[in-house]
Amino acid sequence: MTALRANLRVIGALGLRAVRQTFRRPQLMAPIVVFPTLLLAIQVGGAGSAIHLHVGGVSFPHVDSFLQFMLAGAMMQSLMLAGNSGGIALAVDIEMGFTDRLFASPISRFSIVLGRLAGTAALGALSAVWFLVIGLIFGVPIEEGIAGALVTIGLVTLTAVAIGGIGAAIALRTGSSSVVQGLFPLIFVILFLSSAFFPQNLMLEPAQTIANYNPLSFIVEGLRDAIVFGFAGSEMLDALLAVIGIGCVGLLLSAAAMRHRVRTGG
Amino acid sequence: MPAIEVEALERVFEGGVRAVQGVDLEVAEGEIYGFLGPNGAGKTTMVRMLTTLLLPTGGSARVAGHDIVREASTVRRSIGVALQEAALDPLMTGRELIRLQATLHGISRAEGRRRGDELLDKVGLIDAADRRVGTYSGGMQRRLDLASALVHEPRVLFLDEPTTGLDPVSRKTIWEEVGELNREGTTVFLTTQYLEEADQLANRVGIIDDGKLVAEDTPESLKAQVGRPHLELSLAAEVAERAHEVVSRFGKPLPAKDGKILVELAGGATEVAPVVVALDESGIAVESLELVQPSLDDVFVAKTGYHLEAEEEDTGEQEVEPA
Amino acid sequence: MAEAISRLRPDLEMIRALIARARNELVRVPGAAVPGVLAPTIFFLGLNGVFGNLIQLRGFSADSYSSFIIPVSMLQGAGFTGAAMGVNLARDMERGWFDRLVASPAPRWVLLAGNVASASIRSLIPATVLFCVAMAIGAHFPGIDGLAIALILVMGMAAVAACWGSMLALHYRSQSVAPLMQSGMFVAILCTTAYAPLALLQGWLKEVARINPVTQVIEGVRQGFVGGVSWADTWPAFLVLAGLLALLGALALRELRRLAE
Repeated sequence: MTALRANLRVIGALGLRAVRQTFRRPQLMAPIVVFPTLLLAIQVGGAGSAIHLHVGGVSFPHVDSFLQFMLAGAMMQSLMLAGNSGGIALAVDIEMGFTDRLFASPISRFSIVLGRLAGTAALGALSAVWFLVIGLIFGVPIEEGIAGALVTIGLVTLTAVAIGGIGAAIALRTGSSSVVQGLFPLIFVILFLSSAFFPQNLMLEPAQTIANYNPLSFIVEGLRDAIVFGFAGSEMLDALLAVIGIGCVGLLLSAAAMRHRVRTGG
Repeated sequence: MPAIEVEALERVFEGGVRAVQGVDLEVAEGEIYGFLGPNGAGKTTMVRMLTTLLLPTGGSARVAGHDIVREASTVRRSIGVALQEAALDPLMTGRELIRLQATLHGISRAEGRRRGDELLDKVGLIDAADRRVGTYSGGMQRRLDLASALVHEPRVLFLDEPTTGLDPVSRKTIWEEVGELNREGTTVFLTTQYLEEADQLANRVGIIDDGKLVAEDTPESLKAQVGRPHLELSLAAEVAERAHEVVSRFGKPLPAKDGKILVELAGGATEVAPVVVALDESGIAVESLELVQPSLDDVFVAKTGYHLEAEEEDTGEQEVEPA
Repeated sequence: MAEAISRLRPDLEMIRALIARARNELVRVPGAAVPGVLAPTIFFLGLNGVFGNLIQLRGFSADSYSSFIIPVSMLQGAGFTGAAMGVNLARDMERGWFDRLVASPAPRWVLLAGNVASASIRSLIPATVLFCVAMAIGAHFPGIDGLAIALILVMGMAAVAACWGSMLALHYRSQSVAPLMQSGMFVAILCTTAYAPLALLQGWLKEVARINPVTQVIEGVRQGFVGGVSWADTWPAFLVLAGLLALLGALALRELRRLAE
């Protein structure tokens, strides 16, 4: 129990550092929140007519507005950028030598990663709240009310941590912030190939098939349930399973990368 | 006509930081002028103003006969600059870099090639000329920096701490090259925080502290102004205060250095024995003592009240323990 | 005329040397250029795959969304390339390399022109990759005239982006402003008829696209891909780029001259 409490204290301290770092540098936060917001505004204006689309018997889902549909996708984009930024921050710590200082301390290795992910969780929660407020301001009601809002914030936060685990793994393995930064286009590829920005049954092939199996699609549909359609189907469960799946992958990769770093020193 | 003329030059940064405060100086053609001072004294700010990288907020200066503000582009044609950071492109080869510098000075391609190779050979980099600069050692980078500052045969060469961070062998190499340049007629304005560098190289030394020029003369004259030798005594810490009272009877106490007590001896070496006897009679054991002739550090202490040499330890230089 | 060219020769030689130096990043750092080259193609494929069925909406002027959207990705590639040159300039400033250039007698405009020219030339690389991929998935061939106009406009857009990035780099003297460089271009290009024709745009975007000068550039690049080339669709695009280049170039030059303050 003493060891657990000690680890939790360390995670808390490193987490607080990560959160302070994140919020003290507006230029790092801005792309995570501002960029997806801009893209949301542009896509709503540019592709908003899509809610009238009928193609081969398939219609656009029943929504009050394209914004209502897109909100979940914008949150998804934001949390992925948050996860990536956590990886970048960890890589910068490695480049600066700060991680060596931590490795040389009598703390659990994994608390270093978990502490960093606390900052990512904070960013994830912030982005969820931000987009919910944007939605409310521009007339998007949350179908499941307060419960829906809380579930949305929780799911976004968890997903940000899960994605952050993968970012952390890459940071630990490469030790290079420019490599982690270089994943930025990849984030968009993965998002495009999901139902984040458009209903998957109205996408062109092969994007449609990929989106059907993309775990991010399940997460986005879970978020849409809370905001648009209500907790009727199994989408929320599928979303949670997807998050757990991504989280496990991130955990395994981080552990392997950590072992490699400790063993080889780089 | 002086190579450099500075009149009441001043630079105040945002927030009221007065990095250079009313400096007056002149550097004659063909001279090596050493600008000595600790970190933050204003040396780099001074160099950046004289090389037109920074505008002064007061006063004026002329380099190679041209005003640094009104005739900045003409000044740039007459100067060579090697700044505090070697500031080289790691992806370029040494040869490419020096040729780029030649092109930026309007030298034709053929002539740039010829001069570039000549300079690379002169600084001992001809064999590494086609290697990327990122693979060069610190000393090699400094030599390349120096060579590229010379490709257009400048009248005045500005060197901002050219040997900071270099090992003693590389440092000596740079000194030799600077000395040779000067013998060939180049005026050199050199900033440094190393006393030995100023002592070895400079015809005249200007000491800057907190943005102000506090002394200026040849190294010999400056040392002669301070004049007197001093005694350095290593003692146990618990007797230091009593020892201080004893030695004060023989001469002017100086600021302590590295835990040693220092006292100026008006009569020089003849006063060493009486000091030792007095300490012995007071029951104070002396671990070691050394009679030190005046140095530029003494000049620095006399003008500023603190040692410049303590700053040298902060730059990461390692003292070698005697065997 | 000959005299003017002769006087300019040393300056042109300096610009050539600066372009050669900028080329090193592409040639000597394997993989460094890959994200910048591939990103526009990735966005193109993504946008096409996601929004491709928008073409079914009444009012679309094209019969192929890939043909409609290719100019957006081409110009995004130009924007990213130009902004990347701004980031490189900021990095050069942080490392002290730029001091070396500024302390030389090279005219200030030459230092800027080297950066801008590099961006223009470099922008052809992602544009070429994108064009090949677009043709492979069935986008319409724009004709030689349409392609030539498109590529010249892409180069012009890269030059504008390089001026924008350089202006920010010279003002803030830090790489941390890189997101502003990139997103500025991103927004300028997307707040146009990027996704759909003007008639199908909604709300605020419709009004912004109407007055955004970059819309003219998008339409200028698009014309060959969705129909025929006409002078009426061409001259506004060139005029807009000339105007933006003049404005942002002047601002960047002003920042360069103020560097010593």
